[in-house]
Order: sequence, then structure tokens, then C-alpha cells
Amino acid sequence: MESSDTFLIRPHHQHKFKPAVVKECIREIVREKLSGVQYDPEEVPQLSKTLADSVKEKVKNAGFDRYKLVVQVVIGEQRGQGVKMSSRCLWDADSDNYAEDVYLNDSLFCLVAVFGSYHY
Amino acid sequence: MHSDKKLTKEDTWRPEDLRRYVREEKGQSDGGVRRREGSDRKHRAGESTERRHRDPEKESRRERDKHRERESTRDRGEGDRKDRHVEQRKEGSRDRRGDKERDRRDERDKEKERMKERDRLVDGKRQSDDYGGNKDRKTDKEDKHDRERDQERHRNKEKDRVRDGERRNREDGDKGREDREKERRREERDREHRTERERRRREESGDVGRDRIEKNDREKRERPKDDREEKRTDKERRERHGDRKPSEQKEERGKEYKEEPRRHKEERERRHKEGGRDDPKRKHDSESRDTKRSGEEERHRRGDRERGDGDKQRERRHREDKDPERKHREGRHREEEEDPERNERDKKSVSDKSHRPETNTVKAAEVETELWTTSDVKDVGDTEEPVVDDEDLVDQQYEDDFEDYEEDFEEMDPSENEDEDEKEAEEPPPVGEEREEVTAQKRKEIEAIQRAMNEENERVGTDHSTQSTSREEEDAPKLSRGLEKNHSRASQRGKFIDFVAAKQREVSKKVSTKQKKRSTELLKLIDLDFSMTVSLLDLPPVNEYDMYIRTFGTANTKQAYVQCNEDNADRDVQTEEIEVSERWTQHPPEHSGACGDSNFSQEAQGRNMYEMNFDSQRLSAFLRSASQVLVVLLEESQAERKSLSKLRTQKDKLSFSDGSLQLNTKLPFLYGRHISLVHFSQVQRHTMMSVHAPTTKPSSVRLNSCTLICIWNIWEPSRPQKILVYESEVQCCCFSPGKATLVFAGTSVGSVVLWDLREQTSNHYCLKIGEEEWTFRQPTFSTSAVMAASAHLSSVSSVEVVPSTAAGGLRPEVPLLASEEESSGLSFQLASLDESGVLNFWVVVELPKANEAGSPTDLGLRPGGKVKLLHSSSLLTAERVSPRDAVKTGPLQTLHLKFLPSDSNHFFIGTNMGLVNHGTSHSLKATPKFYRFQEPGVRPVDVTSIHFSPFRQNMFLVGCGDGSIRLHTVSHEQPVAEWRSSTAGEPVVALQWAHTRPAVFCVLDAASHLHVWDLLKSDTEPVLTERISADRVTAMAVFGDSGKQNTYSGIALVHESGKIEMQYFTRDFTVTVPAEEEKLETMMTEAF
Repeated sequence: MESSDTFLIRPHHQHKFKPAVVKECIREIVREKLSGVQYDPEEVPQLSKTLADSVKEKVKNAGFDRYKLVVQVVIGEQRGQGVKMSSRCLWDADSDNYAEDVYLNDSLFCLVAVFGSYHY
Repeated sequence: MHSDKKLTKEDTWRPEDLRRYVREEKGQSDGGVRRREGSDRKHRAGESTERRHRDPEKESRRERDKHRERESTRDRGEGDRKDRHVEQRKEGSRDRRGDKERDRRDERDKEKERMKERDRLVDGKRQSDDYGGNKDRKTDKEDKHDRERDQERHRNKEKDRVRDGERRNREDGDKGREDREKERRREERDREHRTERERRRREESGDVGRDRIEKNDREKRERPKDDREEKRTDKERRERHGDRKPSEQKEERGKEYKEEPRRHKEERERRHKEGGRDDPKRKHDSESRDTKRSGEEERHRRGDRERGDGDKQRERRHREDKDPERKHREGRHREEEEDPERNERDKKSVSDKSHRPETNTVKAAEVETELWTTSDVKDVGDTEEPVVDDEDLVDQQYEDDFEDYEEDFEEMDPSENEDEDEKEAEEPPPVGEEREEVTAQKRKEIEAIQRAMNEENERVGTDHSTQSTSREEEDAPKLSRGLEKNHSRASQRGKFIDFVAAKQREVSKKVSTKQKKRSTELLKLIDLDFSMTVSLLDLPPVNEYDMYIRTFGTANTKQAYVQCNEDNADRDVQTEEIEVSERWTQHPPEHSGACGDSNFSQEAQGRNMYEMNFDSQRLSAFLRSASQVLVVLLEESQAERKSLSKLRTQKDKLSFSDGSLQLNTKLPFLYGRHISLVHFSQVQRHTMMSVHAPTTKPSSVRLNSCTLICIWNIWEPSRPQKILVYESEVQCCCFSPGKATLVFAGTSVGSVVLWDLREQTSNHYCLKIGEEEWTFRQPTFSTSAVMAASAHLSSVSSVEVVPSTAAGGLRPEVPLLASEEESSGLSFQLASLDESGVLNFWVVVELPKANEAGSPTDLGLRPGGKVKLLHSSSLLTAERVSPRDAVKTGPLQTLHLKFLPSDSNHFFIGTNMGLVNHGTSHSLKATPKFYRFQEPGVRPVDVTSIHFSPFRQNMFLVGCGDGSIRLHTVSHEQPVAEWRSSTAGEPVVALQWAHTRPAVFCVLDAASHLHVWDLLKSDTEPVLTERISADRVTAMAVFGDSGKQNTYSGIALVHESGKIEMQYFTRDFTVTVPAEEEKLETMMTEAF
């Protein structure tokens, strides 16, 4: 029984997490939601949540089978300060991937990172 | 719940300890095993008595809490019955209980309880169905009766709340429980005492070990029967309490255990009392009571029987339910923490050991209970069924349940177990005589432990109650239907609840283990790795200036910058680069080549110039040649016309002349100059040069002190082609062999100079005279002061080109191919003879490339010049003259130099002794050594001219200063002919063979008489003598071309006035007459 267990340890090619596609999703949503938005510390928490949700929904519908998604949204005010963000993952690099996109306007920067982790 | 209990138990009681205790005490009592073994048998044997023994005792004991107890017991009993018989319960004997209580409890328990109860009821029904129609109808009837009685008793007050009866029951139970709770501790203590007392009593009562065991067993057995009720209630209670206080439950149960019989009794009594009212009922009651009592026994018996039957059944069920049971059991086990589980198993095993014979049943019971619970779960939705004949079944089940119960106690309910086990474990000891011997210490210990456990249980119970209630509340909807169910079910429900939790836990555990397994398996297949640290965002900080600009830069300001030299916006240098060029110059700055750029720019320019020059050279070369041709053509035609007319006019003037033309020497710079020499090129016969001596007359031109040489094309008489300039007097000159590109001249200062006529006019001094520009060419090369050692120390009397052809080679008439000569470069020798007899040989070398800057080593070379002379050798030719002669005649002067045209090694030098010396350049023997007059002896007569015949190259004419003319052959000392008086004593100035006729030569004497000899006509005197007196002729040169197409011949006469007149010979002197050479031949032969 146990020995007969089979696992699908690699996603099908067409279901593989494609950063380019995801990035496009992110870009689209972020452009749509953030264009012309001024940084407002009151609204940003909610904004980032909704942003994350909508990105997640959109990516969910992109057909990445058996992927668990983590969406991270960071919105910060842009006042000329330096910002540096980086991430590190312990994952199976063959199947897992991430996509990120940065949106900048005069008053804020927004980084959306989507990590897709394949569920075996 | 149970597990919790167990947990608590485990917490307080370590299983080993417990086991040890159990064992010890069993061991002490020694009856433990036996008792259990025998229990079954003894049950059957004398249980009733036993029970009876016990009952009164219990009753007596219970008198204390009679009131409540009665109620509770009754309730319980009724509840039990109700459990068994739903209808009965509906009437709910405990209606007496305050509604408030009910309500209170209702709130809490009703729904879940109901559900569970109902379920259980259904189960019970089912089970009872199984037993339906069994012999136990009786009891059913009894129960029914009881029920009826109860109904009556309670006057059906709360029929509307029929359904709630159970609840009430429970409430009662609860209340009782609560009450009991208070009493619990006391009772516990009491119980223990009681049990001990009991045991003691039993022991006392004469029941020996066996009996005791029996009794115990019976007790157990009985109890189940009672306990069936009890158990239900207990279970119910437990369930209810379990939520709250397991210990309470235990206590209750413990209490109830003992109370059961009491209750029955009370009930009975009550019924008895009541029985007065309705006999049949009472009868029934008593009957039932009897049956109750005996029925218990009966049931026991029956139970045993049934157990036999039931075993089958059970087995069947067992089989049927094996899986669920298993599951449940598993579930139960799993639900419990492993250790407790193990403990429990250990315990079980212990108890199993002790219960050996019972194990089957126990197990079966276990199965039953499990079945129960499973069916509970399963049959949630089952409809109620008549329960009339349930009792047996229920009894049976109760037995099972009881066993279950035991099991449960053992397995599930630590506190209960504790109680029970300890009861069991402790009961035996009191039962056994050894009990007595059990040390008080131990007992105390046990008591302490129990107390501790109780406390612990309480604590845990309270903790747990909240959880379980919540859990139960979740289950409540399901359970709502089981309200009417008896209490005993509740205990099982308690288990069920445990199952839910356990299931959950089990599920989660299962899941987790599964996932763990999965992960371990997967991890073998997958490599997890740390991704590279990905930089998600890197916004560099904006520097201050940008920040400023961003914030303020757009307001009313404008940033602008300007930079010239836009391409170099990144460079700081904004000025134009300074151009640097190096140049040099040289004095005299006579031509543009005297200055130039340095290095690279020069090279670049030079290259440019070269390229330019290349083109312009070709162009100019073309133009030069082309223009020359054109000019020549034009001038020829013009001159011919002129000359023709002139000839006609002047025909009378010169007898031999066919016509004449005059070269235009009336040039400002030639004005007043005496022409010392005219010379024709031997190859380019139309090229002539005239040497104009420097003049003392003042003139507008500053070249007075210079000798000018004009190069003429006789067909282009209007102006000289080139004008050569030299500072000192030119004594002699000659053209280069072949094409007339070089002019050599020997000067009075002893230098030999050379002009390269191909040089650019731009490189030479240009003088504008009047309206015309004249270029005066400085010599390309001069030996003056350069080669002091090898140069001539006296004035050069003659320069002559050494014929390059070998002896008997090229005829002078045959012109060298110009192109050939030019392409092969100039390579020939030049000989120069000065008056002191030094003969120098020069090699004419053409440099491949002109150096504009001049040669640093060869200072004689003019900058830009390409041709130079290299001194090759020198000969002293004047030694031959003996000193005596020299004394007599003065120093020997070598005046004239000629080379044998056919052999360049032989040269002939005319001296002032009237002799012509014959010499060779390579020390060859020259014979004869000299050529003399007809008469031997030396006369001081200058040899003025020597001319080799162009036709007979071994014959030459010698003109002397005394006017004599000799014709020599090379091979003979003495002349072929000598004419002494032809010039009337006037010295011969010039003497030349005609170019077209071998037998004709012209002689000019100093008296300006021109004599033309024709040896064919007369070999003694000239055929024609012209006396030109008007404008004395100072020099003359014969020219002519023997070419077949345009044969012409003439003589150039240089007049004193500086005119150059070209006289064309008449046809007589031009056209070759046959036998002319024979004439010369004959003359030669005649002479020798």
C-alpha cells in the first residue's frame, strides 16, 4: 500500500507556475487599483489587503493546478528614502516559483510578490 | 471524557502503581482471580441470597438519606425503566421534581441528551427487538405496570412534558448528583468504609472467600442488573457529570452501586405502600419488586442464559459489528493518549487476567457497548419502536452493558476505574481475610491517593466540562431525539462524545501521521533547496539634490544649462583644440620646396603633394610634350613661311644658303651678350644650345655676371626653351647622349656643372622681365669647391660624353630610344679635360628620388636635384711632352678632347703644339701616339678643333691656329691630306663635317670667312667661300638630319651682334652624292 503510493511530484507543464503570467496578472491589477492613488496611511492597510485578495483570486483562476499561493503586498510611501526588500525560500526549485512586480508612482511604491508552492 | 479521566488518573496514579496496588491487593486477597473466575458460576448458584444479604444491608445504610435517596433511586429506577421503556419514562416519575430544576437542566442538556438518548433508545429498542417476545415479557409487563403505576402516581400532571421526562430524569439525576456531589466525599469515605465494612461483614457473615467472591461477583452481576438501570443512570450521569465532574460521577456510581439495591428496596417499599391503593398494581409492583429482586437474580440467571444465548447473539453482533467495534475501540484507544491507553490495556490485561473466565463476555460486552455506541451513532434517525419486550433484551444488554461497564470502568474511566478498580481491587481485600491484615497504613495511603485523585479529577473535570459541553452542543441537534432515553445510555453517550473528540483527534492524528509518512516519502523524491536570495525591490535613496528638485524644482524655476561643444558634454574641456604644425625652411628660398611641414603633417602633405604632383606631373608632362609639339608645329610652319620669304630675299646673299631663319635672341637678358658657343645635340638634332657670355654692359637684368645658356629648338625660334644660369664663364658644353635632357658644362673656374632640363620650372628662380616670365635654372650639380681633391684646378677646356657604345657599336646617327634611355636611367660617363691636361672621368648618376631638403652628404647637389656626378677616375694626359719641348714651346696645353666614336677607350686631345695626342683610358697601347703635321717636328700651333666624320668614324679633321687643316685617319700619324693655305693664314675658329654629305665640311676662320669644302669637287680648295663682313660671324655649328623624309642640312652662324642665324644648305650640299665615301677612301689610300 505504502509502496504503491504514487505522487505527482511535478506539475504538468501547462499548469506550472509561470512567473510571466502571474506578473502580468499582478501588473494589471496593480495598475488598475493604484493608478493615481495617493499614499494614505489610513487606507493603505485595507488597500493592501484587497490588493492581495484580488491578486490571489486572479492568480487562482490562472489555472496553476495544485499550487498553494502566497501573496505578499507591500505598500509604502515614497519620500525618497531607500527601500530594499528581498526574499528567500526553502522550496523545490523545480516546481515552485515566484513572481513579483513593482509599481511606483509619485507618492507610493507597491510591491506584490506571489509565491507559488506546489502541493504534491 | 473517559480518556480525560484516565489522564487524570494517570496524572495522579501512575499505572504501574495502580497495577501494583491492584495486584498486591489481589494477591493479598488471593481471591481476585478466583473470585472472578467463579463469579459466573456463583452467580447462577446463589446470587439471590447473596443479593438479599446485601440489599438489607444497603437499605439499612441508606436509611439516612432516605428521602432524597428514595426519590433519586426511584427516579433512577424509573429512569432505568424508562430507559428501557420509553413510554414509561414519558410519564416521568420525577415529575415531582421541580420544574425549575428541570428547566435549568433542560437548558443545558436537553438537546444533546435527547438526541443521544433517543439514539440509544433506538438501539435499545432494536436490541429489545432482538429479544422481543422472549420470556422476559413478564418483566416488561412489570415494567409496564410500574409505568402505569408511576403514571397514576404522578397523576400525569405533566403529560405535556412527556418527552421531557428523561430530561427530568436527568435533572433529577443532576440534582441528585449535585446533592450527591456534596455528599460525595463523605459518601466516598462512607463507601469505602462501607465496602470495607461490607467486606468485613461478608467475611463475618460466614461467607468464606468463595462466597465472598461469589458475592462480589454477584454483586457485580447483580449490580449490572440494577446497574443496567444504574449504569444507564450512571452513564447518563456520567455523561452529564462527565462533562463536569468525573469524580462526582464515580462517586455517584459508587454510591449508586451501593444504593441500587437500596433503591430497589425503597421502591419496593414505596410500592408496597402505594400498593394499597391499587392492588393489582401493587401486586404487580410487588411482583415486579419480587421479580425485580428475583428478576435480578433471574435476570442474572437469565443473563447467564442469555449470555449463553447472548453470546451467540453477541458473537453474531460481534461479528457484525466487529469492524465498527474495532473502529470504535480503536477510536477509543486512539482518542485516549497513548500512555493512558497502554495503561488501560495494562489494566485491562490485569483485570482480564483476573477475569479470565469472563473475558469473553467482557469482550462481548465491550463489543456490545461498542455496538451500542456505534449504533448510537448510526441510528440517529431511527424511529422509535415499541419497547415492550425490551427488558430482556435490555437486561441482556445490560449485562453486556455491565460488562461493558466494567470494561469501561477499567478501560475508560480512570476515576471510575479507580473507584471501581479500587473497589474491586480493594473490595476483594476486605472480602478476603487478608483484607484485615492490610495495613492501616496502606489503606491510609490508598485513601490519600484517592483523595488526591478525586481532587485531580475534579479539577480536570471542570476543565473538561467546558470543552465537552461545547462539543456536545455541537452534537446536540443529533442528540435531541434521544431525550427519553434512559440514563445508562448517557454514559455511553459520554463515551460517544469522547469518540467525537477522539475521532477528531484520531482523524487529525491519522492525517498527521499520514502526512508525516507522505512527507517522508516525498522528501525522498524531492530536493528542497534554498532559493537564491531574490531582491524583490531595491529603491535607492534619492539624493538631496534630486529630492530638492522633485519637491521644489517645478515651482517657478527652470533649470537650464548650456554647453558649447555639445558632443563633449561629459568633458571639461570646452575650448577648441590648438592646432600645432611644424615647418622648416631653407635659404635660399628660391622655390616652394624650400619649406615644408615636419613629420606627420609633412608626410601627409608630402603624400598629398606627391599625389598631387603625381597627377600634375603626369599632366604637366603631357602638357609639356603636347605643347611642345604644338608650339613646334606652329612655329615651324611660321618659320618656314618666313624663311621662304627670307630665302628669296636673301638668296643672293649666301651662295650656299637655301634659306635662313633667325633665332630670337633679342631678349632683354641676352641683350649685349657675346655668344661664345653654339652646340647641337647629336641625337636631337633640332636641339641647340647657345652660350652667352657674361656681359659688362649695364642692363636691366641682374644676371650680367652670369653666363646664360639658352636651349633652343630650331623649329621654335621665337624663344629659347630653357635658360640656364651659371655664375662663372662656361668654356665648353655638351648635351647628354641620347635625349637632350642633361647639359654639361666646363667652366673657367675648373668646375664641371650639370643641368637637368627635366626639373620643374617651379623649383627654379623665376624672373619676370617685361611681360614675360623667364625661368633661370641653376645647375643641378656642380663640382665646384665640392670635390676639391678630384676637381679640376684649372679651367676646363673641354667636356665630352664618353660614348657608351663599344667599339664599332652604335652609330651616332641612330638615336637611342628615348624611352629606353629614360626608363633605364642615366648611366654614362663624362670626361672633362682641363688645360693642364688632367682628364677626369665622371659617372653620371640619377637618384631615384629627389630630396627637397637637399643632400647632407653631397653638397654639390641642388635641393630637389636628382642627377649628380660621381668622380670615377682621373688621368694626366700632358706628360708625354718632353721637358725640352716644353721649355722651347712653353707649357703644353690641352685644348680639345674628342673620343673615338667607335671606341670610347680612345681619346684624342688637341694640344697647343699642333699635335693631337692619342690616349687610352685603360692603359691600352695607343698607336700612333700622336697625329702630326705632314712635316715632322713640333710647331707651337693650337689645335682649335677636332671633328670626326659622322660617316667615316676613323677619320677626323683637325683645324689649327695657323689656318692649316688636316685630315687624319686614326691609324696613321701623318695626315691623309693637309691644306695649309685655304684660310689665307687666318686661324680656323670652327671646323665641322656636314651631317648629310660625307665629303662636305665647313670651316670658319677668324676673318669671318666661311669656307665650304666639297672633297668630291675639289680636294685642294673649298668649293665655296663666303665672306661675311657686315656682322662678323664668331661661331658656327653645322646641323642637319640625314633622315630620309625630311633631309635638311644647315649651318648656324653666330654673329658678333649676338644674332643666331640658321642657314639651310642648298640641295647641292644637302643631298648625298654617291661615291662620296669612296672618294674619302681613295684619298686615304692615295695618302698612304
